[in-house]
Amino acid sequence: MAPVTTAMEKTGTSREFESQVLSVEPIMGDAVLLKVSAPPAVLSHLQPGQFFNIVTRFSGSFDPLLRRPYSVYRAYDDPSALTFLVRPFGRGSAWLAERLPGERLGMLGPLGNSFSIPGRAQRLLMIGGGVGVAPLVMLSDEAAAKNLDVVFVMGAANEAGLLAASELADRVEYLVATDDGSRGHHGLATEVVRDFVEWADQIYACGPEPMYRTLRAVIEPLRINLKPSVQISVERGMACGLGACLGCVVETTHGMIASCVKGPVFELDEIIL
Amino acid sequence: MSHARCRMSAGTTPDLSVDLAPTNPHELRLRNPVIAASGCFGYGEEYANIIDTGRLGAFVSKGITPGRRSGNPMPRIVETPAGMLNAIGLQNPGIRGFVKKYPAIWSNWTVPAIVNISAESVDDYAMMAAILDEQPAIAAIEVNVSCPNVAHGGYCFGWDPQMSAEVTRAVRSATTLPVIVKLSPGASDIVSVAVAVEEAGADAISLINTLVGMAIDVRRRRPLLANHTGGVSGPAVKPIAVRMVYQVATAVRVPVIGMGGIMGLNDALEFFMAGATAIQVGTGIFVDPGLPIRLIDELARWLDDEGFSSLEQIVGIANDGFRLGQGPALAAWESVGV
Repeated sequence: MAPVTTAMEKTGTSREFESQVLSVEPIMGDAVLLKVSAPPAVLSHLQPGQFFNIVTRFSGSFDPLLRRPYSVYRAYDDPSALTFLVRPFGRGSAWLAERLPGERLGMLGPLGNSFSIPGRAQRLLMIGGGVGVAPLVMLSDEAAAKNLDVVFVMGAANEAGLLAASELADRVEYLVATDDGSRGHHGLATEVVRDFVEWADQIYACGPEPMYRTLRAVIEPLRINLKPSVQISVERGMACGLGACLGCVVETTHGMIASCVKGPVFELDEIIL
Repeated sequence: MSHARCRMSAGTTPDLSVDLAPTNPHELRLRNPVIAASGCFGYGEEYANIIDTGRLGAFVSKGITPGRRSGNPMPRIVETPAGMLNAIGLQNPGIRGFVKKYPAIWSNWTVPAIVNISAESVDDYAMMAAILDEQPAIAAIEVNVSCPNVAHGGYCFGWDPQMSAEVTRAVRSATTLPVIVKLSPGASDIVSVAVAVEEAGADAISLINTLVGMAIDVRRRRPLLANHTGGVSGPAVKPIAVRMVYQVATAVRVPVIGMGGIMGLNDALEFFMAGATAIQVGTGIFVDPGLPIRLIDELARWLDDEGFSSLEQIVGIANDGFRLGQGPALAAWESVGV
C-alpha cells in the first residue's frame, strides 16, 4: 500500500486573519458564491483542495460555536480574493450565506493538504457531487492553466442544483447527471464516470460519502493495479482544523488519521468506507 | 491577604507570574497564568505556526495513557448550544510512544510543558508518573481522574474522594514533579474530592473537566456520538465551572487552576475572582486560536487600569475573605443554589 496519500503535506503557512465580504452571488439553486478578501501571503501558497475554517456567528455570540470548514472554490481569478461555495444546510452555513458585502469574517487557513497532479498525468477525470464540486473547480482551473485534458462530471438532485458550464474553463469537458433526469444523464454521476476510467491518468472526487462507495464499486473492475489512482476529499465535522482535537479523524489502512492536517485529500484506496 | 488597591506609576507592568507548586522543591512558577488546556492544544506543535506558543504561561499535553489508543469511532464531536460534546476516546501513542518523541522536542522550548495522564488503575497512574519523572522538559504532571476504575466496576475515580486520593498518593510517591489533579465535575461533592487530593499530596488542583452529556439524532433515533456520551465544554458550562472553583478555592490551600468556557477577559476575571490562581483555555482555543495570548495582554492592561500591581491581588476577591480554607464560602442554601 502506498504511503499516506501522494498529496502534499501542509505547508505551515496557515494563519488567522479577517476577511471582508466582497460579493455574494446566487449559484446552484439555493447556494451562494461568497467572495472574500485575503492577504497575498495566504493566497500565494494556496493549493486546490485546501480549506479555511470560518467563524459563522456574530462577534460576541457563542452560537453556533465551532468554525466551519470550507474548501476553496476559486482563487486564481483575483490576486487578493478567495471564493467559497456555500449551501445553507445547517445553522452555520445559513448564517454565512446571508452575509452582505462589506461585512467581516474570521478566517483560519489555508488548512490541510491538497489535491496533487502527478507530473506525467495529461488526462484528468473529476467527479463532484453537489457542493462537493467546490475544490474540483479550483483544481480544474489549475489543470486548464496547465493545458491538461479534463473531464468534469457533476451530479445533482435536479437541473437547478447544477453548476453552470460557464463556471468552468473552456477546455474542460463538462458532463452532468441528475437524480430526476431533468438534465444530462438520468441517474448518478458515478454511472457517467464509467466511460472515462480507462481514459484517465488520474481521478479526483469530492462529494458525499455514499458517492465514494459507489465510485469504488464502479471503477474497481476497470482499473489495473489500482490505476488510475483516485484522490478524494472527505468532509468531517471538526473543532480546531490543526490536528489538535482529533475530532475529524478518518479511518484508514494506517489507522485513525486527522483529516484536517493529513487530509482532507486521501487516496480512495487507503480509506476504510 | 490584602485586597488594597495600590495605584501604580504609569508604565509599570502588573506582575502576572504565579507559583502553582509553592511547597514543591521543583518550582512551577509561570510567567503568566494562562495555560492551554489538555486535549485542546495537541502536543503544542500543532499551534506553533499559528500563535506565539512561547508566550503562554504553560500548556498541557493531550491525555496520555499507559498503552497506545486509537480512540473512538466517528462521529467524535457534536456541537451543542454555546458548546460542544466530544468523545475522542484519548487517541494517543501511549506513554512509551509519547516519551520517545515529545520531551526531546520540548527541550528546545521555553514554555513549560505539563503532561496530562489517564489510566484505569492506580498502578498504571503510578507507572506513568515514574516514567515521566525521568524525562527532561516536563514541568509538571496533570492527573486526569475522570477515568473508569476497572478495579471498581468502571466507577469514575474522580467521582469518589477516596479513589481520587488513592491515585494522587500513588502519583505523588512515584514522582517529585509538581502534581496537579484535574477534578471531575461529575463528583457528587467536589469539595470533598478537592480536600482529599490535597491531603494526598496534590501540589495544585485544576477544574473543571468536561461534564458528561449526550445529544440525540432525532431522525435516526440514535445518539449522535458513536460513543453515545461525551464531555460537554465551552461557554455553556462556564457558570458551573465558576461555582465549583469558588467552592473548591475556599476549601483548599493549594493553588486552584480554573477552566470551563473561557472565551474572553471577563470570563478569565470571573475565575480569578472566584479563587483561581491560574486559568486554562480549552474549547476557546479551537474557535479562537489567538485567545490565550490576547488574554495575557488584556489581563495585564485590565489590572493596570484598575490599579492592581499584581494578579495575586484579585485572586479570590469575590470570596470576600473566605480564601485559603478559612471556612465555607457558601451558606447551606447557597450551596444548593437556592
